[in-house]
Amino acid sequence: MKLLKRVMLTFLLAIGTGFLVFGPRPGQSLPADRVIVEYWEKWTGNEGDAMKRSVADFNDSVGREKGIYVRYLSMSNIDQKTLAACAAGVPPDVAGLIQRQIVQFSALGVLEPLDDLARSHGITADLYKPIYWESCNDQSHLWCLISTPGVVALHYNRGVFRQNAAALRGAGLDPDRPPRTIAELDAYSRVLDTYGPDGSLDRVGHLPMIPGWYLDYTFYWFGGDIFDPSTQRFTLASPQNIACYEWLRSYSLRLGKGPMQKFRGGVGKQFDTPQNPFISEKVAMEQQGPWLAGFIYNLTKRAEPWRPSMSEALVPRSQEGQLPNRRENYRWAAAPFPSAVPGLENVTFVDFDALVIPHGARHPREAFEFIAYVNRQDVMERLCKLHCKNSPLRAVSRDFLEHHPNPYIEVFESLAASPHARALPHVPIWPEAHKELDDAAQSVYLLDAEPREALQRAQDHLQAKIDRFRERERLRNFSNAH
Amino acid sequence: MRTDLRDLRNGLLFCSPWLVGFSVFTLLPVVICARYSLSDYSATPQPRLFIGAGNYHDLLHDPLFRKSIANTLYYAAIALPAGMLVSLGLALMLNADIRGRAIYRTVIFLPSLVPTVATACVWLWLYNAKYGLINNLLRSIGIQGPAWIDDRHWAMPSLALMSLWGVGNTVVIYLAGLQDVPRDVLEAAEIDGATHWRRIWHVTIPMLSPVIFFNLIMAIITTLQVLTIPYIMTEGGPENATYFFTMAIYDNAFRYLHMGYASAMAWVQLVLILGLTGLAFWTSKRWVHYGGGG
Repeated sequence: MKLLKRVMLTFLLAIGTGFLVFGPRPGQSLPADRVIVEYWEKWTGNEGDAMKRSVADFNDSVGREKGIYVRYLSMSNIDQKTLAACAAGVPPDVAGLIQRQIVQFSALGVLEPLDDLARSHGITADLYKPIYWESCNDQSHLWCLISTPGVVALHYNRGVFRQNAAALRGAGLDPDRPPRTIAELDAYSRVLDTYGPDGSLDRVGHLPMIPGWYLDYTFYWFGGDIFDPSTQRFTLASPQNIACYEWLRSYSLRLGKGPMQKFRGGVGKQFDTPQNPFISEKVAMEQQGPWLAGFIYNLTKRAEPWRPSMSEALVPRSQEGQLPNRRENYRWAAAPFPSAVPGLENVTFVDFDALVIPHGARHPREAFEFIAYVNRQDVMERLCKLHCKNSPLRAVSRDFLEHHPNPYIEVFESLAASPHARALPHVPIWPEAHKELDDAAQSVYLLDAEPREALQRAQDHLQAKIDRFRERERLRNFSNAH
Repeated sequence: MRTDLRDLRNGLLFCSPWLVGFSVFTLLPVVICARYSLSDYSATPQPRLFIGAGNYHDLLHDPLFRKSIANTLYYAAIALPAGMLVSLGLALMLNADIRGRAIYRTVIFLPSLVPTVATACVWLWLYNAKYGLINNLLRSIGIQGPAWIDDRHWAMPSLALMSLWGVGNTVVIYLAGLQDVPRDVLEAAEIDGATHWRRIWHVTIPMLSPVIFFNLIMAIITTLQVLTIPYIMTEGGPENATYFFTMAIYDNAFRYLHMGYASAMAWVQLVLILGLTGLAFWTSKRWVHYGGGG
């Protein structure tokens, strides 16, 4: 027994010593002569590597010159961790949030306004596409700058269009181009829907609920809106929005609620896998951002049989410059998502990943040096190419357009610059608005509520919530003043 | 007296790590939570605003709060008795003297070792309406299975059914309890002509009642706090059919940043659990039999 104890103790000591000697070490040594800027970011994998490259380049150039060193730390739930760190008084110097958190966080005093810092670096509205700059601002202050942006377009499967060319022509539709109106989108979809031998849906032409990421903003394609900032009132129950939800419901009515539900449940919520419904050709047309091209391309590296036919190309990407039109290399294509309102063209929704300086950050000036560096045209274009995204900047180089991994980058660029590009409304209770809109949309496409009724209910709930938010804001200001 | 004091001191010293941990990480947050529940607080630099019972008043008029309570009780009404019955049934079967008993016990216990997220991912595929194993099996016998977690009528029963996957822990506790049922009493009942079922009903279950009671209390607490599985599998949908109470607390605290409101909800949850646990203790006098006369 005594011997066993000694053996166990020696074993444990050996493990402990081994851990101390050979165990983990800090990944990077920090230069003692520079100001250390803590940068928290949500990205991992390829996207994280791309940003790490920008960080390394900054540290080797501007950082070296100005005595700044950015330390990149990747983490999940970055919004919650940033909040907790702010509450504890130890926030990072830079945090990589997403657009929908900006207005909420700024209203709650979590972010430092960047107006003076931006001005001192010559960063002004005219450098950015208007919708992006507008979205970085709220209540007359600049709260963030962009790390990488996104913009939504229609992605369609040209292969499926070609296979069904005769049927499309028979319905009076052109198989060589995408739909240009909502009515055309519905007509294409009807032709491209297919059913299995048991009568279940096998493929849909289009289903607004897949992927469903942009359902909250579908109103924009119908000329509708969510919130009126001038009156601080939600405008959900407008005739345009009701028409939008009628359209949403028309898919459940046409396909049948049960088959639609089973199809949706069947294809799941897969994104970065060959089971992605668009990539696996279960959905012929869907709304997506420019990054989808990158995910499709990455799947070419998969071994058979896990390599989807969607990722097939005529020639390897490195040789596609030899083709007369590099877009011909791919089975898919992108175009503006059609609008329901005649004359309302190039409607889109934009969002972005944002760089902010949290309230109480120790090195705001140094942090902004890095944010400004990321927003330099050359740095931004390289990062956006690596992320397979468009640029938020007005000026875009020829190299960016010609060598971007997405062959349809011009489509995304023109959509983002469009006067009909829309973004999130400036609502400080956006997460709650999203929940209400999601509930309303579900009750409509599951045929449990009429569009008008669902939208009116959501509007009433949200109006009560924003009124309560403003009232408590007023009380808080009053009690602070006294 | 001196020895008593020394023992007390030593006892306190030995349990001081737990006492400190409990005070700092449980008791203090509970007290702070009570304070926050009386204020509009967002856990941000925004100053806290005292609003008295405002959060509790708002809770009364929050339809999603009422829905989340109803959903949680609905889930508990299915998952709790089903879990108790299945685990007790399995324990009784695994207690029988059969060949390969150790293998059966291991197989029943293994699922409870699988991480919750992995379990949820596997069940997502099992419940997949189009390609899932369950619907494929049903299809092979000519039955069109439902959309399971994508159908608001089936989503909650599906989650409750899935909760049976993790009964292994409870089965182990029952099995331990079954080893304490005196063999002589069972043999006496057998000699008196009691059938197998009568022996279970009149001897085994009364003897096992303290263990059943313990498992009931634990089940009340866990089913009323369920969060992870539905959060991963359904996110509360479809149409809030699986929106649980703890999910509402999480959303309000960490998504909407209404920490004060979420604190009020947490207190309501605590009172609800205490009430149901108290009810279980009150009824226990009638059906729990302690061997030592306790």
